[in-house]
Amino acid sequence: MEGIEQILISILLNFVGREEMNAFLRDPRSAAVIVGALIALSGALLGTFLLLRGMALTSDAISHTVLLGIVVAFLVMTGLLGLEADLSSPWLIIGAAGAGVATVVLTEAIYRSGLVKQDAALGLAFPLLFAVAIILVSRFADDVHLDADSVMVGEIGVAWANTNSHCLGPCETVTVTEDDPRAEITRQCTNCRELGISPRDAAAEFVEVCSNCGTYSAAQAYREGFTEIEPQLVFWPKSITVTGLMALLTVGFVALFYKELKLSTFDAALARSLGFRPGLISYALMVLVSLVAVGAFDAVGSILVIAFFIIPPAAAYLLSDRLGVMLLISPLIGTLGAVFGYDLARGHLFGVIELSPVLAWLNSTFDMALVEQWDTSISASMVLMLFGIFVLCWVLSPKYGLISTSLRRAAQRKQFDDQVVLGHVYNHSGTERAAEELAVDHLHEHFRWTPRKMQRVLSRLQASALVKVDGRVVTLTALGSDAIHTFRAQYLSSTPAPIAG
Amino acid sequence: MFAAGVVLFVPFSQLALGVNYDYTLRTVALGGALLGVVSGVLGSFAVLRRESLIGDALSHAALPGVGIAFLIAGRSLGVLLIGAAIASWLGVRFINALTRTTRIKQDTAMGIVLAAWFALGIALLTYIQSLPNASQAGLDKFIFGQAAAIVESDVQLIAVVGAISFVVLGLFWKEFKLITFDFEFAAANGFRVGFLGALLSTLIVVAIVLGLQLAGVILMVGMLIAPGIAARQWTHKLGQMVLLSGVFGAFAGGVGAILSALDVDLPTGPMIIVVAFAVVLLSLAVAPDRGLLWTSLQRRSDARRFAAINTLNDIYRYAEAHGGVNHTVPSDIVIGVRGRSGIAGLRALTQDGMIVRTEDGWRLTDAGADTAGRQAESLRLWDVYRTFGEALDLPAVPEDRLRDIRDVLSPDDIEALVWASAEDKR
Repeated sequence: MEGIEQILISILLNFVGREEMNAFLRDPRSAAVIVGALIALSGALLGTFLLLRGMALTSDAISHTVLLGIVVAFLVMTGLLGLEADLSSPWLIIGAAGAGVATVVLTEAIYRSGLVKQDAALGLAFPLLFAVAIILVSRFADDVHLDADSVMVGEIGVAWANTNSHCLGPCETVTVTEDDPRAEITRQCTNCRELGISPRDAAAEFVEVCSNCGTYSAAQAYREGFTEIEPQLVFWPKSITVTGLMALLTVGFVALFYKELKLSTFDAALARSLGFRPGLISYALMVLVSLVAVGAFDAVGSILVIAFFIIPPAAAYLLSDRLGVMLLISPLIGTLGAVFGYDLARGHLFGVIELSPVLAWLNSTFDMALVEQWDTSISASMVLMLFGIFVLCWVLSPKYGLISTSLRRAAQRKQFDDQVVLGHVYNHSGTERAAEELAVDHLHEHFRWTPRKMQRVLSRLQASALVKVDGRVVTLTALGSDAIHTFRAQYLSSTPAPIAG
Repeated sequence: MFAAGVVLFVPFSQLALGVNYDYTLRTVALGGALLGVVSGVLGSFAVLRRESLIGDALSHAALPGVGIAFLIAGRSLGVLLIGAAIASWLGVRFINALTRTTRIKQDTAMGIVLAAWFALGIALLTYIQSLPNASQAGLDKFIFGQAAAIVESDVQLIAVVGAISFVVLGLFWKEFKLITFDFEFAAANGFRVGFLGALLSTLIVVAIVLGLQLAGVILMVGMLIAPGIAARQWTHKLGQMVLLSGVFGAFAGGVGAILSALDVDLPTGPMIIVVAFAVVLLSLAVAPDRGLLWTSLQRRSDARRFAAINTLNDIYRYAEAHGGVNHTVPSDIVIGVRGRSGIAGLRALTQDGMIVRTEDGWRLTDAGADTAGRQAESLRLWDVYRTFGEALDLPAVPEDRLRDIRDVLSPDDIEALVWASAEDKR
């Protein structure tokens, strides 16, 4: 893990200075946005396939059960192996992948029994696994160090603070031994407390203890004043490495197996008959979802992460019909959500609207005692921003948006009205009752329309020169006659008889 | 039997497990049991309508309602629950609007609502924690549920609201049954399916909101659907299923609460879920007619019958071809043709007294020869029926070669078949 960070840092140092890099990485905003964007990238790519496979809620189930994997891995690490619990240990990865696969296997086992429907099987499996995880956490909380808050929302806001330091400059460690002049030796009474005597008592026995002996890293040695030269350090947030690796893995998987993923998503039967293994691809997808969920656990918690799997692909699904385009749009939407979401948590909406005046207004209008400084969970705000972008797409999408569909419907309705009137005029032109049926003032009654609606339709038809009004009676123009002929030939596939008389 | 188990559980837990029934535990256990009844009964409909996961989405979606209600009215349970109900209900409307106007499927829409509403709730709760008045403590208990905080008035609230929702359920019983099992039929026959569906969703929202305090938003879905899934295994009738689901819910809620009292570190909500899942597993395993145990027994007896029939036919044909039905058939022939199913068939036929073992193989008994003859004739007539049944204008029956065709068709029809086969041979 640290080796990868070192390589990355040495590459980046070609472009920016060490000071700038530290300043950038130790800025809470940039660290949080980078981590958020990396989670959004992997979530959006995997989520696109989940959505198209109709498995969107599997990410919900897996993100819950990953907690069980983490808890079990922690218990194994601390209890059986005597290791220190760490959110970036390989054991955790194994635990998470295992939990993800366990969820899928358990769900399928329940479903395969034939006694329970698919949705119910999922709804049974993951609350159970989650409940077991919660029970384990409550029983062994001292060993596990997981509290409810970190499960719910994660700690993306402090991603900048949890760092690995990498030394570039003079990096010699300093070892202080007891006979070192720098060593601080203190005398401690070994039997004072036991005998209840003061250290001045003659019976007191002493040992000499070195209070600062040990090995210091270059940074620690500088801080303690053992060395004069300041080592050159880069502080690299651990979360960036973890989420970056997940993103790399996801991008690599999608790029390498794009063909297999596409085929097994859209036509699993064809994929199977061509010799691909759709089942295997499906399990690989689930394992990746589990890994991304566990990588994101630290940053955004186990529930909010599903927003990164579901919302950006859903928004992209409203914007495009092509898989390739969706795979480009949805990470973009996820990244935008991460960037603007951070600002929202601090009370700035797109950098345009400020929330503090709104809260002040609420206070003054409704006499509420609200704190006017809006400062809330960053991960939740990122999700809200994703949702905001989704709603924008829903309203504005050129093909599937609310506005465009309602405009299209309105246009269709108009066209339909025009055709109905045109047909009516056509059918009655030249008949005996033409004067009665086609009188402008009474035409609306034949359709049970309001006079105003009739008026609108007629003026539309007149504007396009399809009908004309001769002495309060509507008649068809030559153009209108042509129009109705083409319409009937096209849609009713019948050639109407020529107008009589 | 089950009811006896429920009744006996309390003294059992007192004596054997050393559970001390103090005021808190009585309240929590009673609350859990009542809640189990309400969510079990109403959850049955979610299970049957294949909307199990709606419980998951809506329980998460309740959170911002809790936050906003707190900001407006402070910590009064009634108001918080009303806020929760409104937020969940808006979630339902959003899911419906999204699936109606776009091509997004219901599961994705539920995921969107779940995540977005929950995020709003978390943002509000985080903000509330920064407020100066200290009484907000405990609001986040809605997320995981906190049974210990339940007091008598909460139990009364669950009882009253539950009773009201049961009355509504009773009034619209027939309509709910119809839209659950045949939505299109109900719509085509002028029932107001939109209203009825919304009403049913509202009842489910009520059950979820009542349960939030005990089970928490994450586990509520298990509480809602597990009793219904378990009950579904035991019966094919809606009324029985709903009743049984209430009983299972009460059992899970009560027993889960009592078990969690064994140790301070055992949380109530998750224990209830574990008990409910145990009930589901038990039902899946042993439910009559449907359960895994039952079907595997059924499958074994079917396999035995198949093996017996096929092996008998093999022996009969071989014996006839080699000099009569009493001819001995070597074991190698039978087992060579059928493999393991041949061995099973030989064992079954010996047990039934159809064949006897001789020095160098197997020989049909008189009963065996008789049965085999009739069976061979029946199988031959089934073949004829398949070829000529339609041409002879015989009644259409499902082809089931395990049954004697003479039991399926009338004697006249059989005669026609025999005649047709004779004609065909000529």
